[in-house]
Amino acid sequence: MSGRSGNDGYSAESIRVLEGLEAVRKRPGMYIGDTAERGLHHLVTEIVDNSVDEALAGYCTEIGVTIESDDRVSVEDNGRGIPVEVHSSEKRSALEVVHTVLHAGGKFDRGAYRVSGGLHGVGASVVNALSQEFEVEVRRDGRLYYQRYERGVPKTKVEDRGPSAGRGTRTVFCPDPAIFPEVSFKYEVIARYLREMAYLNAGLRVRLSDERSGRREEFHYPGGIREFARALGQGSEALHDVIYFHGVREGVDIECALQWTDALHEVVFTYANNIHTIEGGTHLSGLKSALTRAVNAYAARNNLVKGKELKLEGDDTREGLVAVLSVKLPEPQYEGQTKTKLGNSEVEGLVAALVNEKLGEYLEKHPGEARRIVAHAVEAAAAREAARRAKELVRRKGALDSGALPGKLADCQERDPARSELFIVEGDSAGGSAKQGRDRRTQAILPLRGKILNVERARIDKMLSSAELRTLITALGMGVGEDKDAGKLRYHTVVIMTDADVDGSHIRTLLLTFFFRQFPELVEGGHLYIAQPPLFRARKGRQERYLKDEAALEEYLTDLGVEAVTLVAGKGAAARELKGAPLKAMVRKALHYERMFEALERRSKERAVVAALAGLAAQRRATAESFRSEKAANELALLIAKEVRRPELVARVEAESGAAYRIVFHQARNGATAPTAVDLALFHCGELREIRRLGAELEGFKPPFALKSGGVERTIESLKEAAEAVLEAGQKGVEIQRYKGLGEMNPEQLWETTMNPEARTLLRVQVGSQEEAEAIFQRLMGELVEPRRQFIEENALNVRNLDI
Amino acid sequence: MRCPICKKPTDGSAANRWRPFCCERCRLIDFGRWMGEDYRAPDAPGERVREPRPADRKD
Repeated sequence: MSGRSGNDGYSAESIRVLEGLEAVRKRPGMYIGDTAERGLHHLVTEIVDNSVDEALAGYCTEIGVTIESDDRVSVEDNGRGIPVEVHSSEKRSALEVVHTVLHAGGKFDRGAYRVSGGLHGVGASVVNALSQEFEVEVRRDGRLYYQRYERGVPKTKVEDRGPSAGRGTRTVFCPDPAIFPEVSFKYEVIARYLREMAYLNAGLRVRLSDERSGRREEFHYPGGIREFARALGQGSEALHDVIYFHGVREGVDIECALQWTDALHEVVFTYANNIHTIEGGTHLSGLKSALTRAVNAYAARNNLVKGKELKLEGDDTREGLVAVLSVKLPEPQYEGQTKTKLGNSEVEGLVAALVNEKLGEYLEKHPGEARRIVAHAVEAAAAREAARRAKELVRRKGALDSGALPGKLADCQERDPARSELFIVEGDSAGGSAKQGRDRRTQAILPLRGKILNVERARIDKMLSSAELRTLITALGMGVGEDKDAGKLRYHTVVIMTDADVDGSHIRTLLLTFFFRQFPELVEGGHLYIAQPPLFRARKGRQERYLKDEAALEEYLTDLGVEAVTLVAGKGAAARELKGAPLKAMVRKALHYERMFEALERRSKERAVVAALAGLAAQRRATAESFRSEKAANELALLIAKEVRRPELVARVEAESGAAYRIVFHQARNGATAPTAVDLALFHCGELREIRRLGAELEGFKPPFALKSGGVERTIESLKEAAEAVLEAGQKGVEIQRYKGLGEMNPEQLWETTMNPEARTLLRVQVGSQEEAEAIFQRLMGELVEPRRQFIEENALNVRNLDI
Repeated sequence: MRCPICKKPTDGSAANRWRPFCCERCRLIDFGRWMGEDYRAPDAPGERVREPRPADRKD
């Protein structure tokens, strides 16, 4: 067939045509980038782009692409069809001109297409030149036209094949193996491109089918780039629904979809005339500057970055951003290595102005979303700032090397970490005592003061200063962040030693949280401890005892008391004489029993009511069922009232949530005391259980009691007073000193009680206590002042909570 | 366990190198707050000598 080409009236023109297209075949890379996978697939996009242009112009709604079994590709659309009439200057069918003349086609005539994609308009002729075979069918004006080419050379005239319904263009081509080493198309590569086109042209229906595998898909997105942005953001949590806007400014059509997600990276896709501008360009610059400006402006106007010397930079405002920006303009200029960077300078300002205006509007109208977006950016800025600080800290020459240990650290002589201990001591005076009292061979001391800041007149805040934390990190020797190496820990025993007051507990909570968060290895390795300095010193004669806490003091005094007295419980035949261990057991139970009532009294539970409830529960006359119906609750109310026998206490039954009832006792005459609510929570609480248990065990000890001591006998009317009398007897001749701070101990005392490995008690901080420590920390840092104070008083001293 | 910074559920085991945080970024935010002295505990009321109020200073 090719031999006949010179005879069908095409020869003269064919030569000229060949000159143009031969250049394409000689240097295909200049036209399609390369002849590898990218270039090969580029052929498809060139043909599809022509159809998309028809869609852009509003004439095409469907595009079908088929990869045929012999690696031919057909592209079909329902556009207007390429014109077939004779081209005025070329004296040939326009269809043939489009396919055989470089830089021909409607794209260079602004009349035909307002805007167009296609890579620089090389279009169909380049694909034709690089195809072994190329056929095109045009349905136009009710007829079907056809032409066939080989390697760019027409093999037929434009044939009129008779009447045909519909309209559009269908192109089939098969790449020339002489040009492309590999001519097999990849479904995914084509699918990705077609999907993108469908997103960019809302409503356009694009079908792809692969006859080799039978795989087929249809891409159709009525939401356009909105759906695109949503799909790109999948897998991250969106902070709001997609923000979309569209506008035409000075002939440039600008469309943008934005969504912030909780992701850390940004995903921004930009297009110019449907071409993915991978290298960005002026439209991207415009988007970026406007985002930074709009978010900053909103944050500033609404005072959302208050109190911080933070500035939201571009990277901060784009963290987690998913954006699709598509601009369409009459004369795009492309730059860059792969010609995928938009160069039209006027576009930058136009995009920036539109984005700034529309995003600003959105933020004003959606304050909730706006706050989330700004908060996200503020976090990003904080993270950036934190990273900078961390890097600075690590970089500072030798700052974290053990060779440059901080001056405040009194290090030990031992170099083996397994035998070295670090005491982190609150306060300078205690630090001084610890330095003098320690065993300097194995014990290092790091005094820590905490930093006090006057926030307002009435409020003072306490914190660990950054200098102190730096010192601490240096002393530990592990480094921090990315370069942290647990193997370099310089002390395998790290002891937090703080005062037993509220201040001390704050410092301890801060330190524990710091370790749990930034040095979890310390806890996991079992290296972190809390010192247990005594709270009391008791002296009797020459005897001296250090007592860890109130419980230890009480036990000590009970022991002394029991040695000194005998107690007779009951009278007559039922009287029992108690001394020694049985007396001690009774006293301790009685004191504990009393403490349970006190705990409930603090929660405004009237003692008499609690006692009555406990008694009734012991007799099974009060059960959980008593709270399940109004009738049962009324019965229980009567029973309690009978036991209490206080006419001024009036009971009222109220319905609770969860189909339960409670009884509220309140003072009839004087409303000043808080009412006592008897409910399921009280019935099931630990204190009531203890009261019932101890009540039963103390059943045998009934008043009156007689306390015998040194020949003197005293009558006592209640169990509580009897127990207290034993304690009082124990206290006789005992001098008790309460240590408010570590500083009140001299170096010898500190060594003896707290630091000496032979005598001390250390509390190892357990991994499991992290959540509890976090909870305490969170409350401590909380915003509400009142519940916070209350919480601290209740929990601050309760270090044992951490040792579960 | 939840990440102390972003409150998202997180793996607290040693398998998570950023534990107890969910990621390096949250760990950094926290570290930045420590170094920026943002974690402040309110001082205990009544434990420190208060500045005399103007009313007390009447001579």
